[in-house]
Amino acid sequence: MSPRLTLQTPLQLPPAEIPTYLEQLWSHEERGNKGANTFCLIIWQPAWIEQKLVKTGKISGPVLGSQRNDLIEAAREIILKGDLPNSTSPLDFRVHPTIQSKELIKNVEDLRGQHIDTSISNLQPRRLITIAPTIEKENNLETLVAAYCPLPEEGGGKTACGDVIVLRGNQNAINDGLEIVETLIPDELPSWLWWNGRIDEAPELLKALAIPNRRLIIDTALGEPSVCLDLLLQRINSGQAVNDLNWLRLRGWRETLAMVFDPLQRRSALENTQKIDIDIEGSQTVQGLLLAAWIADRLNWKLETFICSKKDQIKFNFIRPDKTFVVLGITSLPIGKPSINPGQIVGLRLIAKAKNKQKNDLCVILASESGECMRLEAGGMARMELIEQVVPIQKTSLENDVARLLSSSRGKTSPLLANAAPLAKEMLDLVNQTK
Amino acid sequence: MARNLSMSMPLTNPLRIGLRQERVIPPQCLVIFGASGDLTHRKLIPALFELFKQRRLPSEFAVLGCARRPWTDEIFKEKMEESLSYQIKESPKEWELFSQNLFYEPVDLQKPEHLIKLGERLDIIDKLRATHGHRTFYLSVSPKFYGSGCRALASAGLLRDPKRSRVVIEKPFGRDFNSAQSLNSLVQGCAQESQIFRIDHYLGKETVQNILVLRFANTIFEPIWNRNYISSVQITSSETVGVEDRAGYYESSGALRDMVQNHLTQMLALTAMEPPGHFDPEAIRNEKAKVLQAVKLANEEKPWECCVRGQYAKGGSDSDPLLGYREEAGVNPNSTTETYVAMKLFIDNWRWQGVPFYVRTGKRLAKRLSEVVLTFREAPVHLFDAAGGCPTSNQLILRIQPNEGAEFSFEVKSPGSGMRSRPVNMEFSYDESFGEPSDEGYVRLLADAMLGDPTLFTRSDEVEAAWRLYTPLLEKIEDSPWELPVYPYESRTWGPTESDLLIAKDQILWRRP
Repeated sequence: MSPRLTLQTPLQLPPAEIPTYLEQLWSHEERGNKGANTFCLIIWQPAWIEQKLVKTGKISGPVLGSQRNDLIEAAREIILKGDLPNSTSPLDFRVHPTIQSKELIKNVEDLRGQHIDTSISNLQPRRLITIAPTIEKENNLETLVAAYCPLPEEGGGKTACGDVIVLRGNQNAINDGLEIVETLIPDELPSWLWWNGRIDEAPELLKALAIPNRRLIIDTALGEPSVCLDLLLQRINSGQAVNDLNWLRLRGWRETLAMVFDPLQRRSALENTQKIDIDIEGSQTVQGLLLAAWIADRLNWKLETFICSKKDQIKFNFIRPDKTFVVLGITSLPIGKPSINPGQIVGLRLIAKAKNKQKNDLCVILASESGECMRLEAGGMARMELIEQVVPIQKTSLENDVARLLSSSRGKTSPLLANAAPLAKEMLDLVNQTK
Repeated sequence: MARNLSMSMPLTNPLRIGLRQERVIPPQCLVIFGASGDLTHRKLIPALFELFKQRRLPSEFAVLGCARRPWTDEIFKEKMEESLSYQIKESPKEWELFSQNLFYEPVDLQKPEHLIKLGERLDIIDKLRATHGHRTFYLSVSPKFYGSGCRALASAGLLRDPKRSRVVIEKPFGRDFNSAQSLNSLVQGCAQESQIFRIDHYLGKETVQNILVLRFANTIFEPIWNRNYISSVQITSSETVGVEDRAGYYESSGALRDMVQNHLTQMLALTAMEPPGHFDPEAIRNEKAKVLQAVKLANEEKPWECCVRGQYAKGGSDSDPLLGYREEAGVNPNSTTETYVAMKLFIDNWRWQGVPFYVRTGKRLAKRLSEVVLTFREAPVHLFDAAGGCPTSNQLILRIQPNEGAEFSFEVKSPGSGMRSRPVNMEFSYDESFGEPSDEGYVRLLADAMLGDPTLFTRSDEVEAAWRLYTPLLEKIEDSPWELPVYPYESRTWGPTESDLLIAKDQILWRRP
């Protein structure tokens, strides 16, 4: 589905005039109509790599703020040609400084905030406020505003309209323009902040925008793992509704692993789990830690000790309710063509051995559709019942995932994530203590 | 096997807990009219309690029971507590919390002053429970009050906001085409169609919904789901129980109105409809309505050629004798109400032209089950000897209840030196694959009604199309009953012999599961 543009060309206005303009804009409508009675979404949309690639002429403009194919391909090429490891994700922050440029092309069209993906526009947001920092240091604050109406499909039905506002400029200009953002959020509607960038890239700005009653969408795959988990945990503990795209992308793994143990005759194997190995792409460990923590939490295991930290592997001891040890390892694999999101899981092996009942031994291997599981298949499980499943790659776009969160969140953090996050953080702290 | 194992194993898959992404029910006040009746304590409150235990109800929630009895909130809670004692014993703390959401208001829908009082009570509940005027009115009353009930609600201004108020109406929706049409126009005069939720609890069943998923989420079925590959379809819903304490209602209804016009016809619609463009309530209901408009009796001129009515007679054993229908309490000893009906239908469209759909339902039959059976055409040439004499046609059996699941039967080589074939079954069982029980139909439907999702509710044109199909038959039964007599059948058998003959004419047998 192609993104929808705003209904009218956005009007550039001084920030102070925006509230008055919006007031007038809606007063032309029928009396009492203030647009869709849905939600407001603030989007932090830096798109650093896309800006750099467009402004150095490596891909064509305009800047859209989406994960377009040509952007991904260009970034992969830069990784291959540069000094970065091959397993670097194409949207990794290290790609940005690697893009060589003598001079940036001026007057590149920047449509960030004006392209609204169908999956989001279908939810009829009342107001979308995009904060679009520019890579040029000299850019002053520009504020744009436009009305926006999704066209109803199959005719019929009233159009519920909203508006879009874009704040564009360098980091200082954005900071200056921030105070207007809060005045633009109607009190009666739930508001969301989608932090579509690295969690550690602008902590003060994030703090200013992620006020306590605002629902937060972050991606813990983007940023230093300890910073990501710190923020996640801190926000969960403060009672804020946090939605993590990295956690959402784990749903295929959670569902497939649960599916393996749906048949009653396999249930006891869960209680006899002795070993779990999780393979991830590259070195961003948050997704691996969250999956491990989810399993441990669901099966009521207690984190006991950190066993070892090799260059590419971390291992922990857990204790099952029956006081037996479980060894859990997370291994970083050098993947030739990694996925867009850093640290995605590529394989999981679970080994369960029942005391005195060898015939009930079970080995479960889950492998990503994109990877192979031969590494996990090695290791003498010949006498065990072997269950192998392929976990489908999530083919949904980033915007689709966000739309999914916007439409399904109850304004609360998922209880599963709320339980897994502290354990994941505890595991990472143990690793960091030994460094 | 699976059931034995469950004795020593955790009943719930710990990895499964919390994985289901359920949609969010907005703040809500559910108003049940007929709150002192059977359906409320047998189905509705247990379903709401289940939703509460699954944490699917918002914290801003209330149930307001309404009936003519002069009960108080406390009496209503006590009555519900008595009826749900078994479920409460398992989760007493949850019940304590849930029952705080139960309220009661004595209401006679025919008295305008009661409706004014009801409005005031709802405003108080809105403030007390922050339900923001979101109200679902559930008419669990006698069908003769559906129209007047809606009118009373509309007159009191309780249906004014189409986004925040809706009405759920139980079956039967009308007695024939004309009455359904009048009721539709009456109800639509009180509220927009988007506010009206006509409930058919069969559509709440996981397995009925699975017909859609099986057909439209797989690529292997749809190409063969048509007249080129399917030779016939059988839809069965059989009960082992008799009329029990519903004689009063059943005498004026019969199997055709009670089961065929709604439940079986909905199963037929889901089995035969075209794929919708997208998973959208209106897109799905459009396709269902379209296919129902194309269904016709196999012989409209001579309906007795394509329809058999039956009535259960005595049966059982000496130690456990079973009464015949006419001996049941409250039943006219000369009753001609059918407790069994079987018929042959055709669908006049490209996909199904010439494929007979055999539909049957009855009380006091040999087994309790509901299923859809698609029989595929025979292989064009029989190359092999069949162990049973001739090769069996492939069958896809969608088991709606019990033992929910699906089964596919096909021919394989019988072991040995020859090349003889014999049929085998490939099975899918909900129990074994998912290891957790499905929600009762009302759980799903109540949640959907409160969510404002009409996908699993029947739209006015669907209801009318179904009645239009059966009304000539109902008229014939009324005007010249001798042309469609009720044939007696022994209790706990598979219905009258005439029913077997009905399809034997097409060289087909009813499946004996």
